[in-house]
Amino acid sequence: MTDASDRPDAGLGERLRELDAVAMPDRGQLFEDMFSEVKAQCDKSDRTLAGFLRSRSTAARRMLVLSIFAVLGIAGWFAFPVIDVEGRSVQWTASLVAFCILLVLAMFMVTRPVHLPALPRWQSVSLVAVAVGATIVAAFWPIPAALSAAHDHGGGFMAGACMGVGLLLGVPVYALLRLVDRGNALGNLVAAAAAGVAGNFVLKAHCAIPGTSHELLGHASVALVFVVGLGLVHRWIPSK
Amino acid sequence: MSPDPRAGASDEDLMSAYVDGDDAAFRLLFERYAPILLRLTRRHLRDDELAQEIVQQTFFRLHGARNDFRQGSKLRPWVMTIAMNLVREHWRRKKRRKVTDLEVDTQAAPEADFMPLELRQRSALLHGALERLPHSQREVVELHWFQERPYAEIAQIVGTSEGAVRVRAHRAYTTLKQLLVSEIRGDE
Repeated sequence: MTDASDRPDAGLGERLRELDAVAMPDRGQLFEDMFSEVKAQCDKSDRTLAGFLRSRSTAARRMLVLSIFAVLGIAGWFAFPVIDVEGRSVQWTASLVAFCILLVLAMFMVTRPVHLPALPRWQSVSLVAVAVGATIVAAFWPIPAALSAAHDHGGGFMAGACMGVGLLLGVPVYALLRLVDRGNALGNLVAAAAAGVAGNFVLKAHCAIPGTSHELLGHASVALVFVVGLGLVHRWIPSK
Repeated sequence: MSPDPRAGASDEDLMSAYVDGDDAAFRLLFERYAPILLRLTRRHLRDDELAQEIVQQTFFRLHGARNDFRQGSKLRPWVMTIAMNLVREHWRRKKRRKVTDLEVDTQAAPEADFMPLELRQRSALLHGALERLPHSQREVVELHWFQERPYAEIAQIVGTSEGAVRVRAHRAYTTLKQLLVSEIRGDE
């Protein structure tokens, strides 16, 4: 309990006490109704996939997300051709590692337990900004043009195709992170940034089309579309 | 609500029982904490309906987070932290929507139907003074004075150091005293 010496002096204390004096009268029925509503809401939530996943322990939720990321990443890596060895520059590797780190950070933020103080907004906003920024920086490290001799690519059309693929690949990542999010502030934006980064990871690993303009239009745009698009959607339709 | 033989059990025992699937324990926890949380949220929000909604959301989140509860943990900081996070989130959204002060005022004075006039006026004055405190100081006053929580626990709830909480409390009480000084002199 509080130490008496820490309390404000008698005059102020007396006034503050008045606020307790005007507390509500007995509201037994009100609490009964409130509890019934909460219980119904909990029962309804338990019957949904999101409710089931969100009620797993934080360790279990994190393991689940990491496992799904790992399975998808490994399956994709071997299922589709990765760019040639000559194209795997230090920058290319650094981009992939940075995307992985950002994905893991986003996962930790989204799955943060709600009984801990909420993270300051600037941390979530910074992660989103860094994620979008990283995809843009990665676009300035394209694969060497010499490697693209075998590829007949049609400029804007291919950028559009890459963007479409990136967006499609990001959707399951976004959905998964939303399913395990217990309601952290800005969790939707962090999940959107993670989806964009995941799309960029796959495109960076597999897309052999060279050129900064292609990577900006077809790759980096994925993260931007996710963040801006879903940010606007949540602004218009705020989640509960 | 019907009496339960475990009414004397500790919060932590009830929470452990709830984690093990005992729904009645959840009801007992609600009975214990809902009135405390309602007072806490009403003072922050000055809106009865919203305060009730946040209390319900707190328990909904507690239900969702129940599998994170470990033996040896204290339940009270858990519940308070969830509620304070929700209150902060509410203010953040409200600020974002740029709701006018006029709208806030129309939602105020929830006790109007059962408070004597003088007490209502004094309460409004106090609420006004509390509202003029920065949010970080107001939540410390709320937890320290009204909920009688020790500084160490408040630090855990608001996510800062105990020293910072002491500084905030000191500043808040000094500011409150300055704001109410003329009124206090009138009482003497």
